[in-house]
Amino acid sequence: MSVIIAKGISKTYDPDGMPVLALQRIDLEIREGEFTAIVGPSGSGKSTLLNIIGGLDKPSEGMVEVGGHMITELSDNELIDFRKEHIGFVFQAYNLIPVLTARENVEFVMLLQQRPKAEREARTKELLHAVGLDDKMDKRPGELSGGQQQRVAVARALAPKPAFILADEPTANLDTKSTENLLDIMAELNREEKITFIFSTHDQRVINRARRVITLVDGAVASDEKRD
Amino acid sequence: MIPLIAWRNIWRSRTRSLVVIGAIAIGVWAALFMTGFATGMARGYVRSAVDNIVSHLQMHHPQFKEDYDARFMVDTPGAVADRLREMPSIKAVSARAVVNGMASTPKGARGVQIKGINPDEEAGVTTLREKIVEGSYFLPDRRNEVLISVAMADKLHIKMRSKLVLTFQETSGELTTGAFRVAGIFDSGNKPFDETHIFVDHSDMAALLAPGSPTEDVIQEIAIMLHAPKTAATVSDTLQSLFPGLLSETYHQISPDLEMYESQINTVSYIYLGIIMLALVFGIVNTMLMAVLERYREIGMLMAIGMNKIKVFSMIVFEALMLGLIAAPLGMGLGWVSMLYLGRKGINLSAYSESLRLYGLEQIIYFELPPETYWQAGIFVMFTALLASLYPAWKAISLRPVEAIRKI
Repeated sequence: MSVIIAKGISKTYDPDGMPVLALQRIDLEIREGEFTAIVGPSGSGKSTLLNIIGGLDKPSEGMVEVGGHMITELSDNELIDFRKEHIGFVFQAYNLIPVLTARENVEFVMLLQQRPKAEREARTKELLHAVGLDDKMDKRPGELSGGQQQRVAVARALAPKPAFILADEPTANLDTKSTENLLDIMAELNREEKITFIFSTHDQRVINRARRVITLVDGAVASDEKRD
Repeated sequence: MIPLIAWRNIWRSRTRSLVVIGAIAIGVWAALFMTGFATGMARGYVRSAVDNIVSHLQMHHPQFKEDYDARFMVDTPGAVADRLREMPSIKAVSARAVVNGMASTPKGARGVQIKGINPDEEAGVTTLREKIVEGSYFLPDRRNEVLISVAMADKLHIKMRSKLVLTFQETSGELTTGAFRVAGIFDSGNKPFDETHIFVDHSDMAALLAPGSPTEDVIQEIAIMLHAPKTAATVSDTLQSLFPGLLSETYHQISPDLEMYESQINTVSYIYLGIIMLALVFGIVNTMLMAVLERYREIGMLMAIGMNKIKVFSMIVFEALMLGLIAAPLGMGLGWVSMLYLGRKGINLSAYSESLRLYGLEQIIYFELPPETYWQAGIFVMFTALLASLYPAWKAISLRPVEAIRKI
């Protein structure tokens, strides 16, 4: 079953009256349970593509359907609600809420979803346990290492039970050990829970673990390799 | 959780938040201080005018005040005064003879209002006895004594025991004169009043004003002090219906400037609060704007993961309101302590006594603050914080998550 269907996506930026084509007529289909890496050199359009399928940005042309919803037709406010319910984000710089503890960071999205307290607490414990941070639940981001922060970010991304997780360069700031640890966790969640992961990355260690690698060059799909 | 995040956010930059809290608290204190000063000054002025000059109520013949013509006397003043003294709301009554005339000495002459008073009755209504700075109040069995002010003594170039000739019209219309000797010199603190008023014993004046008439019937004015000044209008209405042949007036009606002073107290408070809060708006806007711009990426992330614009907006507004919520009680507490101290000790402005005298203001200003000013200040602060948070909050929700997240 397809989680994401993108057809004819183009994106043109026009910051100084000089149009720049970031994406050119990209067709893409991501199926449930995929562990996909979008790779390519800097400026190839990886982040732009991720932002568009994540509902953070809109294409200049084309349509994106996520879990049966045509997100390219949603307003900004509808997109915020859509992201809250259907998409989990993991950012390169972790982007946790610095004034909240790990537990509160994970619980926060569920609070926005107005889930019952008991459910929030149970799922928060479960997710922090899954990422191996049972003993760090009450620590604030500033008290955690980069790897630990990124694991909290993964737990937070999983909290709303999203259709898929978009991870933009999730390992860029991590050392090898933390990277391997994070990839193990994500691979296990993908394998056991059938959670769909889509990465944009330069990191060969991530690319090696991906089961599908989409390479972008100059805003177009240069190759789409599926590994079994 | 939004209030929790807002609360923790304001302590992320502790120094900055404390500076803003301090500024708001001092602003509130300053507004309360200035209002307390202005109120103390205004009420002091009103109190001084009531105690020294007008009393709470006055009753006259309806035509007396048209031209201060002594012919228009109070009918059966003894019975009226006795009836007034029976009323529980009335504290003291003084019946006076009043006439406009001329005070002359070999060195000068001045137009004055002469009040013939019963010394004991008058002591219950005005503070004249306490205001004597030289000589004495009227002594029993002394005839034709006069009390004049320091200012009058200067103008007429006379001193204690000097002789003074008073000239005025009898009730029959004939001119009459009487020689009086200065028994005491007073200083009411109100220069315009002091320069125009002198006091003599009622029996001495009545004999000159209406020769042949029973002394006790020569009354042009009945001054009344109440237990509760706030009841002045009600008591005046009652008196008006009890004595339809007389005109009863409150101190507000007698001296409209007193009413203006009293009514301005609230206005002054609002003006001070308004000006100070207006200045604080800019400080709060600056702080909140810095807080938003510093957290540009974080706010973008919050919107990316599903925090809608209303919640982001509320978070910023909450932060400003919480700053106000901490600062307002601090400022109010400081204000309360200041009022407690300065309400008892006052501020001595005797260095400016000449100017104060000119306007009838007291030299020691005892701070007074209407209790409602405290919560008004609180509401002003919260309103200011709300107002100041709107632009930063609008800035926050105007950002595009995709651009905010990319920012380093």
